Amino acid sequence: MDEATLIRHAANGDATAWEPLVLAHQEAVFRLSYLLLGDPDDAEDIAQETFLRAWYHLKRFDTTRPLRPWLLIIASNLASNRRRSAGRYLSALTRAFRNEPVSSTSIEEKSTRHLEASQLWKAVQTLSVPDQQIVYLRYFLDLSVAETAEVLRIAEGTVKSRLSRALDRLRGIIQQDFPVLVEPRDGQEGNNV
Amino acid sequence: MNELQQELFEKQLLSLSKGLDYPRTPGIAGSVMARLHGATPPRFISRRLVWSLTIILILFSSLMLIPPARAAIIEFIQIGVVRIFRAEPTPLAPPNQEIPTTTVPMTATPAPTSQPLIPLLEKLAGEMTLEEAQNAVNYPILLPSYPPDLGKPDRVFVQDAEGKMTILVWIDPQKPTQVLMSLHLIPPGSWAIDKFDPALVQETRVNGQRAIWAVGPYPLRLRNDDFEYMRLIDGHVLIWKENDITYRLETDLPLEEAIKIAESLEPAR
Repeated sequence: MDEATLIRHAANGDATAWEPLVLAHQEAVFRLSYLLLGDPDDAEDIAQETFLRAWYHLKRFDTTRPLRPWLLIIASNLASNRRRSAGRYLSALTRAFRNEPVSSTSIEEKSTRHLEASQLWKAVQTLSVPDQQIVYLRYFLDLSVAETAEVLRIAEGTVKSRLSRALDRLRGIIQQDFPVLVEPRDGQEGNNV
Repeated sequence: MNELQQELFEKQLLSLSKGLDYPRTPGIAGSVMARLHGATPPRFISRRLVWSLTIILILFSSLMLIPPARAAIIEFIQIGVVRIFRAEPTPLAPPNQEIPTTTVPMTATPAPTSQPLIPLLEKLAGEMTLEEAQNAVNYPILLPSYPPDLGKPDRVFVQDAEGKMTILVWIDPQKPTQVLMSLHLIPPGSWAIDKFDPALVQETRVNGQRAIWAVGPYPLRLRNDDFEYMRLIDGHVLIWKENDITYRLETDLPLEEAIKIAESLEPAR
């Protein structure tokens, strides 16, 4: 059964048709939420709420359109609201008092590739939220310009111009504060920005 | 950055970002299906908030056992989509009553404290130009023409959570790190806004219509059938309804000034 058919069934109240759609898109929704919030528990909450909200509003969804951009819009809005809510402060406190760190592997022990990606994420986190959103969608989730435009509900030309400005800012931040991403490693060229 | 440099930079970003160590995606489908089959209406409450809300529930439950408290708690004032719950009947405040000072700035509202709130604006979703906002909503976005030198809002947000709510923000020109005021335009429909026990509630009039002046801090709950979100509000709020749109003017200006601003709304030129 294709996606549009599953959506139509789900919109008519068939929950079994919704499950494969959740499975198909849960990773992208979870990852965007994680990128925006930086906490896996918060990201899981947001991802669950995203699929529940989408389920309850499926009748309004235009089945000729792809589902993923719509889900990412909901996740992005929910994550932005969560960032402003008291829950953020509670989660920060919870993280601070965790007995176990999120990852048992320290940054130093991670592979260089992971370290660089982690540094890049930190650099992106210093951008404004709209800049972060567009960078995450386009590069971290690897959405096309058209898909990014669909999620942000702006024209493709606007996506390009906003990306260009965001990349200018990101490049400046990297050059100033993230030397590990700029300096070529021994015996290696070309991978660093 | 020229076109070639940007293309190279983009390729590098795509390559680097693939190395990010995401946590394993949890079993979201299972949880979602369990909640759907549980037939309980979804609530936007994080697990971390459950304990806090449980404590609040216990406190409320205790109060509900006391008949006078129960009678007081269910009393509320409704203006448009905004409902204000009061723990006890709130007397009308004399016009010159001293406004209580507040200490917890948690919103894009001007506050008596000196803490800058601009960083919070960076976290608001849906920023766009005024023109884009007007195209995005199906009601006219009215702007204050008072004070005469106010000008257009410095920041404009449209948040699409069922109804499209517009948030206009003016930055204080004397203190560029602080917000002068914000105006929320809330269409009828799904959004419902509840306030709980503001420090002071005063009934007043805007263009001859009933309006409410509330002073924080107080918890504010935004909710519809399947969404709930709470935040603490600081500052003073004037709430009124006109042509089916509910307006919330958050400001630290005095009530008289807030009413002048509210009554000066007119279509953007």
